[in-house]
Amino acid sequence: MAIVIRRLEESDEVENFDSGDEPLNNYLKRHAWSNQEKSLIGVSYVAVDEGAPRVVLGYFTLAVASVARDKFPKKYVRGLPPYDLSLILLARLAVDRRFEGRGLGHALISEAFRISLRVADEVGCRCIITDAYRERTSWYARYGFVPIEGAAEHGPQKMYLDLRTVRAALRR
Amino acid sequence: MPRMVSKNRKRRRLDPSATGRPRKTKFQADLAPAEDRTIRLLKQELQLGSNTDFLSDAVALFRWAVSERKLGHRIISESVSGERKVLCFPRLERVAPDLVLPRVEIEWTQRELERLGELASATEANRPTEVLIRAFRD
Repeated sequence: MAIVIRRLEESDEVENFDSGDEPLNNYLKRHAWSNQEKSLIGVSYVAVDEGAPRVVLGYFTLAVASVARDKFPKKYVRGLPPYDLSLILLARLAVDRRFEGRGLGHALISEAFRISLRVADEVGCRCIITDAYRERTSWYARYGFVPIEGAAEHGPQKMYLDLRTVRAALRR
Repeated sequence: MPRMVSKNRKRRRLDPSATGRPRKTKFQADLAPAEDRTIRLLKQELQLGSNTDFLSDAVALFRWAVSERKLGHRIISESVSGERKVLCFPRLERVAPDLVLPRVEIEWTQRELERLGELASATEANRPTEVLIRAFRD
């Protein structure tokens, strides 16, 4: 299986995609394309096999966001640059369960890191944030994501990865 | 009438396209001595006999690089030990597709903002984990 990761295209086959998680399936099937091309609120990248280049096996979605400087408690403002904090949101990442255990998740997040570094080079960004399911936080932690505590106990966990850390990994 | 025929004949001689042969363009370049030495060395290494062959191969390579970057592909060299280097050539970046992502709003609680402020204001970032390092090698 030779995997290619590229931007989502309109003719991609997403109807049979099944990650085992309905919101993640639904996002790809109903919203990913229109959010990317019409609403411009997130770009999705898909993993496909070269042998069946239209069938989506996994995907992730990226967007950029920022936090206004005056939102931060004064105590931390001194250590921050004198501008709003720009960040990249890894909004979604899912693999079709029929292709689990083949390193697709690793390939997808690796590509997300590469794109994030390129975006940071072009427009400037400080970190990657993801909203991880609680049961998936240990998977993200392996890549160096640290939890941003403070949300409700149930529901997704925001996690933080400094782009300086990602850049350092690239240089190793 | 005979004069016109004569003119046409003359024009045909001057216009190479009229002969059916492809028109060749002369290419002249002012090179610094170091660049000239580099080209001579490359011609020797690549066993290229003429400047025309050299230019033709260089154009083919450049054209391939431009087409790859136009598709958004990165050009990577990989050593025997698996070490990878990504080609970063500013002129090629001009043809690469824009990677600017759309902007979204995220809702934060006050405690999350405190923690985010703490993490982002750290003077040194965490060291990359082995898995993260592997993400760029695989």
